[in-house]
Amino acid sequence: MGFRHTLIGVALFIFLFYFGLILSLFYFMGGKGFWHAWVNPYTLYSIRLSLVAATIATFLAIFIALPSAYALSRFEFIGKNVVDTILEIPMILSPIALGAAFLIFFNTPMGKLIQEKGIYFVFEIPGVILAQFATVAGLATRLMKASLDEISPRYEAVARSLGSSPWKTFYRITLPLSYKGLLASGILCWAKAVGEFGATVTLAGAMPGKTETMPIAIFTALASANIEKAVILIFILLLIGIGTLYSVRFIGKGYRYD
Amino acid sequence: MIKIEGLTIRLKTFEFSDFNLAIEKGEFHFLLGPTGSGKTLILESIVGLHRPRKGKIWIDGKEVQGLPPEKREVSYVPQDLALFPHLNVWENIIYGVKARGLQLKDYDSYIGDLISITKIEALLERYPARLSGGEKKRVALLRALASKPKLLILDEPLTGLDPSIKFEIQQLLKTLHSSFQPTILCVSHDFEEAYLLADRITVFIDGKVQQVGTKEEIFLKPSSNKVAQFLGLRNLYPVSSMAKDPDQRRWLLGVNGLLFSVPMVPDQREGEKWNLFIRPEEVMILREGKPVKESLKRNIFEGEIVDFMDRGRYNLVHFQSQEGNLLFEIHIPNYAFRNLDLWKGKKVRVALREESFWIIPH
Repeated sequence: MGFRHTLIGVALFIFLFYFGLILSLFYFMGGKGFWHAWVNPYTLYSIRLSLVAATIATFLAIFIALPSAYALSRFEFIGKNVVDTILEIPMILSPIALGAAFLIFFNTPMGKLIQEKGIYFVFEIPGVILAQFATVAGLATRLMKASLDEISPRYEAVARSLGSSPWKTFYRITLPLSYKGLLASGILCWAKAVGEFGATVTLAGAMPGKTETMPIAIFTALASANIEKAVILIFILLLIGIGTLYSVRFIGKGYRYD
Repeated sequence: MIKIEGLTIRLKTFEFSDFNLAIEKGEFHFLLGPTGSGKTLILESIVGLHRPRKGKIWIDGKEVQGLPPEKREVSYVPQDLALFPHLNVWENIIYGVKARGLQLKDYDSYIGDLISITKIEALLERYPARLSGGEKKRVALLRALASKPKLLILDEPLTGLDPSIKFEIQQLLKTLHSSFQPTILCVSHDFEEAYLLADRITVFIDGKVQQVGTKEEIFLKPSSNKVAQFLGLRNLYPVSSMAKDPDQRRWLLGVNGLLFSVPMVPDQREGEKWNLFIRPEEVMILREGKPVKESLKRNIFEGEIVDFMDRGRYNLVHFQSQEGNLLFEIHIPNYAFRNLDLWKGKKVRVALREESFWIIPH
């Protein structure tokens, strides 16, 4: 077997590995239990909660990530390397450790003050959003910085020399030139937020009809041997994942200004 | 008028200090220097992209070194042009007018004239990705000029172009300058470009201004060895002896045993080290039997033709003197070359005109 065939064979093996896994889910599809699980209000609630919380968390993350990414991409400042490294912590730290760190924080005097005078996060819906936000904010900054790095600062320099203020330059030049990358970053982060489990279950708990998101619902469904419900939710997550990958690829295709 | 005094910039990778420059209103000024000498950094400092450590910049009497780029009225055309790819040609052109909050109707006829001179009427709806290299240059120039900046800054505008496009853009720059008289500061490493376009040239080498002058002054009277070498000038020889001619109005300079009689210039003193520069265009190969002018008789040397080659616009001849074995490079116009009937090894006499000499501090 030649070099080329060996490598293609390995690629096909990986494909079949995942495809077989997905195919096995069909074994539990259909039947009375399956449809019963579909219309279960808790299942529908977990789907709704996951989508809404992930959307809010993603918007919050973008709100913070875009200016941070621009600063990291364009400016030199003291501590830039430290900030850059800290942003990667959510990517390398176990999500459960991240959630636990939040639980510990909310038991400190400052954390207690925030909960008492502001919003309750522990075992509450805002906790779901906070856990998802913490997981994706670093990633969003990293991805958006990569998109902004691709846009030559020369465009901005020329726009400034032509009389554009920094804000106007950002709005009229940087943003339109990088919007594809920024949009793709947002979609990827949203998908990651939808699938977030560890930090959410640790900080917000697994209360059906309250803080139970789709990944948590899969876990609890399996724990109570409700395979049909788990399969439905796995399929939904799978569709979201595949949809995300395709939309990111679609966004990246073609050049609008040709 | 643009004036820069004591400009000092220090970046992680590069620095220069105490840079001075003065550009008259409507002048086409070239900042000429080798690649990597920091010319672009100077331009970017004038645009406002780097804050100087020290020094002042005045644009039409207004001190601008502390102002952001958008408040300086300095338009900038970088080497890569940076045409905005998401805007079509027309949107690119009027970007500056809109960004400065100017009324487009006040600029209509001026922009119309610019469009007609740059011949881009048919391109206005196109996006930059669909323009050729020359078209992009024209659009970038027009965009920079459209809002009537007080200073137009061009970074290597002719670098990397095909010869035909280069010629076209050169002509366009000349036409734009003569038609609208913008004040232009252009950075280049190519003396030929500067010679064709500049009113005045600043030669910037090793982080320092070496010479400022008209193109003729720079080319014919380089102030130092560095300038001469940068300009690629040939026939530069270290002077080994220097004595006053009995009539006291000329130097007798010894180079490799040859004695050159050179007109005296006030700055030059005996005992200092000098280089003699002989301009290749000013050396004459004498035709046998033809009378020689009195003024040429002081500097006639015998030798032979070592080599020659056709350089298109002129012929390059290598001549080696019989005494001292000094090798000269001589540039001869094509018509003169044909009349001379030269071959390798041919014994000839050369005469050096008064204009062919220039003495440079060593």
